[in-house]
Amino acid sequence: MSLAMQTKINLSEMSADRAQPQRSAVTPPIRLTRSERMRLGTIGLIGFIGIWSLLSLTGLVPRQFLPAPHEVLIRFIELLGTPFAGATLVEHLASSFMRFAYGFLLAAMIGIPLGLLMGWYRWLDDVITPIFDMLRFIAPIAWVPFAALWFGTGIGGPIMIIFAGAFPPCLINAYRGARFVNRNVIEAAQMLGTSNLRIVTEVLLPASIPSIVAGLRVSAGLAWQSLIGAELIVASAGVGFMMVQAQAGVATATVMTCMLAIGLVGLLIDVALRQIETAIRRRHGQS
Amino acid sequence: MTNNRRLIVGFATLAVIAAIWYVMTEATGWISPGRFPTPLDTWDALSQVTFGEYANGALYEHAFHSVKLVLLGFMVAAGIGVPLGLLMGWNSKAEALINPIFLLIRPIPPLAWIPLAILWLGLGDAAKVMVIWFAAFVPSVVNSYTGVKAIDPAVIEAVRMLGTPRWRFIREVMIPAALPMIFTGLRLSLQASWTTLVAAELVGALYGLGRVLNVAQQDIYPGMILVGMISVAILGWATTMILGQVEQRSLRWMQVRG
Amino acid sequence: MASIEFSSVGKVFNRAGIDFVTLDGVDLSVAEKEFVAIVGPSGCGKTTCLRMAAGFEFPTLGTVKVNYRDVTAPGPDRAVVFQQFALFPWKTVAQNIELGLRNKGVPKVERQERVKNAIALMSLQGYESAYPHQLSGGMQQRVAIARAYVLEPEVLLMDEPFGALDAQTRVSMQEELVRLARVNPRTVLFITHAVEEAVYLADRVAIMTKRPGRIKEIIDIKSVRLAEKWDEHERIEDVMDLESFVHLRTHIWRSLREEKGSQVH
Ligand SMILES: Nc1ncnc2c1ncn2[C@@H]1O[C@H](COP(=O)(O)OP(=O)(O)OP(=O)(O)O)[C@@H](O)[C@H]1O
Ligand SMILES: [Mg+2]
Repeated sequence: MSLAMQTKINLSEMSADRAQPQRSAVTPPIRLTRSERMRLGTIGLIGFIGIWSLLSLTGLVPRQFLPAPHEVLIRFIELLGTPFAGATLVEHLASSFMRFAYGFLLAAMIGIPLGLLMGWYRWLDDVITPIFDMLRFIAPIAWVPFAALWFGTGIGGPIMIIFAGAFPPCLINAYRGARFVNRNVIEAAQMLGTSNLRIVTEVLLPASIPSIVAGLRVSAGLAWQSLIGAELIVASAGVGFMMVQAQAGVATATVMTCMLAIGLVGLLIDVALRQIETAIRRRHGQS
Repeated sequence: MTNNRRLIVGFATLAVIAAIWYVMTEATGWISPGRFPTPLDTWDALSQVTFGEYANGALYEHAFHSVKLVLLGFMVAAGIGVPLGLLMGWNSKAEALINPIFLLIRPIPPLAWIPLAILWLGLGDAAKVMVIWFAAFVPSVVNSYTGVKAIDPAVIEAVRMLGTPRWRFIREVMIPAALPMIFTGLRLSLQASWTTLVAAELVGALYGLGRVLNVAQQDIYPGMILVGMISVAILGWATTMILGQVEQRSLRWMQVRG
Repeated sequence: MASIEFSSVGKVFNRAGIDFVTLDGVDLSVAEKEFVAIVGPSGCGKTTCLRMAAGFEFPTLGTVKVNYRDVTAPGPDRAVVFQQFALFPWKTVAQNIELGLRNKGVPKVERQERVKNAIALMSLQGYESAYPHQLSGGMQQRVAIARAYVLEPEVLLMDEPFGALDAQTRVSMQEELVRLARVNPRTVLFITHAVEEAVYLADRVAIMTKRPGRIKEIIDIKSVRLAEKWDEHERIEDVMDLESFVHLRTHIWRSLREEKGSQVH
């Protein structure tokens, strides 16, 4: 009888590996099955939420400072419709998202062309790079005072902070993309008498798109986080502002609701850009 | 040759910027001193905060305070995050247990923890350390984890074949193998620590460079704002350089050429 | 004292829910201090056999015994020379070779002595404190062999150890291995694609069928080698010219070709 037939019978009672290693001090990494993974993950989550609930419900941590998970959820739903600090959660989120979108688009619209041009024109690279290196170590959030001074605390200031957070990855990735374009392609274009500007728009740009899109994803994450920071400090609307107000009023459940909302929107932005990234990569024949 | 060229153009650029700065502010006044400081304003602000006091302290006190908090938060985060990342990378049960919690918390940007930290711990140092901890923790864990995951399975088999005891494996194989990634994580952590600290101090603090920025903003004192920003940048740069040195030293085996 | 014994070994791998029968009834025994080479078509399960003897993989059916005991885990008594070297990039050549001895608790002085000998044996002098990435592929392979040899293991398991070497280095390593095997014989299981190498090195050559792998034929080389006094020739090319060698080689070639020919794809 061939093994192929025997195993049909034996495998069920004999799972993949029969003998278990005992002697070696270092045991090999275990592969978990999907269900084991799910089970452990659920245990982890339940443990996390359980400890949180326990701390809160038993009063070990005053309820005022640590509301139970379900209270945060209830508050979340409440705030969707009830105004807090002048607007509902949705309205605050919308106003934050608008600023995010403006700042992010501005950073992309300046950073990407500049990065591409820097990748093509050496002199531009030589001029911009030292400035960029100098500014790189200034945390985006440190621009807050100037941003408030120059553009006010309404919409202009926060947009500048977002810009400061989102700009570097846009620039760097466009630059790298343009820098590492296959030389043969460029030479072929030059041979055909393509003008410099044409090379940038019709050779470097398409070739750098995967790199640029990857940069945009990083950039969006930083932009979203910088915006929250900016709104904590200078703003009169937005989730960050809402959070500061809630903190001042010791409304912990509201603070946590805002954190949840911020996390969700950040996640959505990332998922959306990731979709775009994979779509573009697929179109460019890369995986 | 190219390096020289870069250096020269770099310095020339900076010189031109300085000149433009001078011309736009001091010489012509096209940019009003209420919006951006003149070089002289900046110098005045610098000497004021260096030799005198501003926002409850001298510059070195603020700087010392900020550096202290950054290092404290960063070290606690790395001290917990790196071992946790290594554990999750090696032990798939630990990974399966912890990863979902991680996925839940990770999308919340570190800066969004600031209000909660203030609620819990007030405006003092503890809140800052907590937020920095959050900011620095994630990159430490993620990169250490990735580093362990990327260890060549054949190397692990060699370890087992040679009968290596567990602790020796961890010390001499797992950590060195993951070290390049660990350092990548630490660099990101350090950067995040600075960003978070500045934000947290801007939101509310008694000392620190963020406090200087905050007070200067309220005083509409552009010279001091610039001094604060430059101080933050220099300190961020310096700590990154030190970490880079440690990294180079620790990864010497990668650098030697054949 | 040390021998390797495969009895009716079957191995099934599960890939994406589908069972692949890789080995189906492998019977092979390697006597104490015997050198057995396995040849067979690619993918027939040679590496799988070796990994089971090493303790990295376990049989689905049947048993694999080393020293009359079921193999349960890897250990320094069965040193493996990996096909992909598997050196520690952050350790110097000497540190790579030394690790196994440290694990065994060999005292420092003896350790240094043995590392030195192993380095000399593999002609790696002068590279003690070099890192693997500074060495050529052939030198890295020699470090991997030295790391196994230095343990003075009862059993040596080698998976195409010369596969990555250039022709010249390969020949000198083969000659070296033959010299060692004659001077200080060990139990060796040796996998190779090169028929000449198998005939030149081994006491016996086991030919495997295509997947699902089984031992198709075992050729005794040792008796021919002793009868025809191969060992009097120092160089591999002289041995390869001998009629008895050519005869064995051709026989194995034919046997392997039958397997290739009957492959479906
Ligand atoms: N861990 C594994 N999981 C699934 N299938 C495996 C695994 N290891 C080996 N196999 C399969 O088992 C078969 C035999 O593999 P093995 O590596 O033993 O072949 P081999 O004879 O050494 O081949 P080669 O001469 O090419 O090295 C192959 O079809 C391979 O795909
Ligand atoms: Mg193989």
